[in-house]
Amino acid sequence: MSRAVSLCAAGEIPVGGARRFVVEGHEPVAIFNLGGTLYATADKCSHQRASLSEGEVDGDEVICPLHFQVFHIPTGEAREGITRAPIATYAVCVDHGQIVVELP
Amino acid sequence: MTSTAMIHVEIRHEVEQFLYREARLLDAEDYQSWLALLTDDVHYWVPGVQNRARKDPLGSHAPGYMAYFDDSKFDLTRRIKRFTADTAWSENPPTKQFHSITNVEIYAAQSRDELTAHSLTTVYRGRYEGSGDILYGRREDTLRRVDGELRLAQRTVVISHNTLQSKNLNTFL
Amino acid sequence: MSDTITSVLSDAAEGVIDRRIFWDREIYELELERIFARTWIFLAHESQLPVSGSFVTTNIGSDNVIVVRGRDDVIRAFLNSCPHRGNRICHAETGRTRGGFVCNYHGWSFGLDGQLQGMHETDAYKAEPSFDFGEHGLVPVAQLDTYKGLVFGCLDPDAPGLGDYLGDFCWYLDVLLDNQDCGTEFIGGCIRSVIDCNWKIPAENFAGDALHAGWTHDSGARAMLDAPVPEWWGKESYQVNVNGHCWEFNLDLVGNASTFGDKRLNRWIRSREAEVEARLGRIRSRMLGAFSSVTVFPNMSFLPGQQSFRVWQPLGPNRVELKTWVLVNRALPDEIKEVYRKGAMMTFSPSGVFEMDDGENWEYSTRANEGVVTRRQKLHYGLGRDSRLDHPELPGNVYRNQVNDANQRAFYQRWAHLMAAETWAEVPKS
Repeated sequence: MSRAVSLCAAGEIPVGGARRFVVEGHEPVAIFNLGGTLYATADKCSHQRASLSEGEVDGDEVICPLHFQVFHIPTGEAREGITRAPIATYAVCVDHGQIVVELP
Repeated sequence: MTSTAMIHVEIRHEVEQFLYREARLLDAEDYQSWLALLTDDVHYWVPGVQNRARKDPLGSHAPGYMAYFDDSKFDLTRRIKRFTADTAWSENPPTKQFHSITNVEIYAAQSRDELTAHSLTTVYRGRYEGSGDILYGRREDTLRRVDGELRLAQRTVVISHNTLQSKNLNTFL
Repeated sequence: MSDTITSVLSDAAEGVIDRRIFWDREIYELELERIFARTWIFLAHESQLPVSGSFVTTNIGSDNVIVVRGRDDVIRAFLNSCPHRGNRICHAETGRTRGGFVCNYHGWSFGLDGQLQGMHETDAYKAEPSFDFGEHGLVPVAQLDTYKGLVFGCLDPDAPGLGDYLGDFCWYLDVLLDNQDCGTEFIGGCIRSVIDCNWKIPAENFAGDALHAGWTHDSGARAMLDAPVPEWWGKESYQVNVNGHCWEFNLDLVGNASTFGDKRLNRWIRSREAEVEARLGRIRSRMLGAFSSVTVFPNMSFLPGQQSFRVWQPLGPNRVELKTWVLVNRALPDEIKEVYRKGAMMTFSPSGVFEMDDGENWEYSTRANEGVVTRRQKLHYGLGRDSRLDHPELPGNVYRNQVNDANQRAFYQRWAHLMAAETWAEVPKS
């Protein structure tokens, strides 16, 4: 049963930036702002436990700061690096001025 | 695109004999006879090899980069001019060369009068007093039938090291 | 050993050199400390590091280093050895890394700035009270600087800066590096080979040995030009040196470039002469593709004209790894770039019709010193001992005639000064 979780005010995440959110009953979530469009993924790298929101955002990819695994943010696909395991992605939107993510 | 269909055994034999004969001519430094085995539009390419990561899109070698040979027939002729000059000091006394050709595979090529031949080349060179070396390369050749005879139209040789394990390459691979 | 070194200074002044400096392992080990670990060594051309994450690995003497462009566009260099257990971190010779470098042994990972990001089981180290991540990054090369596209590194924090090190030799380097607004680049790739000789033998050859060209390379000239190498004695030519960096040259504009036997190149160089003269003056414009050769002390050399750029990396007292590139102006027409790419490799590479005869000379010049009695015989470096002149325009130490040993003597004097000096403060200017 999915649920909508309100995270923060829209505009708190700058273009090109990312932020980690701890959500009760769920793994932490990362929100990315790519050119004004928001994306939500699991914050934890599928390789080890590093936080992807602390990684470098390069175009539409994020580079894990620990061992430099590259993920495609919109799809969660694992690209260059050590692992082929993707990260989960979630639907996200702005509702009444709040960033809302749809979690399972 | 090449076809993996079985090449007739006679053609296989002919190609192998061509490659072995070519090797013997190089061992014998019979460069004029060797040149006669090449088409006039031959491209002879031994690229420089770089140790790049597997995922590197450039790979270990690429056209337009540094190469040991990136030769037309005219370029090859100029090299042979040096080999046969009386003043090629490092060719006198001569290097003893042995070209060993193995792992020959032959496939049909896109053009009806051409074949693709893969092989390994191992070149032993002995100078003197124990000085010498072994060079290894994987070859891909395009052979073309000209007036009924096989000729070498294109050769690519990729050697085994990014650093050539020798001071010079005074031979063809 | 120290007697051998100090005698080189007086020997060089008299035009002789002791063979032991080309053979002794002890002298070689001291060279690694006093030459390679203290002077400025060529690492890379900026064009090899075009974007963030671009890297090359190379050597400063016996130390392997990573040279990498950071996210902030700054080029940095580090010892290529993990501070954990010492393993080599980057095994590729060049490429681009998206995030940084990871050691294969325990997963210690380092950003493009060399900072330690983490490792396998990072939590174990986070739980270690005395462990400071900030103290265990890659060890940076002490000094790094660039001159017009060439990246140099120095392992000695007390060495003079690159500008002082090169000194007035920059005036000459501009012939290669600054004859056009666009700057220079390496053509892609690198050809590497090994020669069983002492590193100083090819370095001195490029520093000042115009004489060998007409004899050693006769077969190459006949192959490319159907003619021998011209004789140069009596024509206007010079040897110049500054701080042991050496350039010997003619003013014939195209002597080296002509060895390609391609008229398009000669025409191209001639077409640029007026523009280069307006930019750099008459003498430097005439050096552009002239019969000449250069060594930047200790082990970086090039041939103007063929545009062959190289380093002689020592692998022991009797072995070098030669790395060659082709250096061209960025804005060259593609057709001319292709002439340089193919011509440089046809003439000066392990398969080059000129270079092929050098390797054996150098190997046997080194090997001969295996003989204990042979090793006691001094070598003759006495040509041109009275050829010094004051030139109104040419900076540095200037000598008449490129057929000369003056540059070689200056190379060994610089060598001896560095080898005898415990610190840079004791090294005289030359």
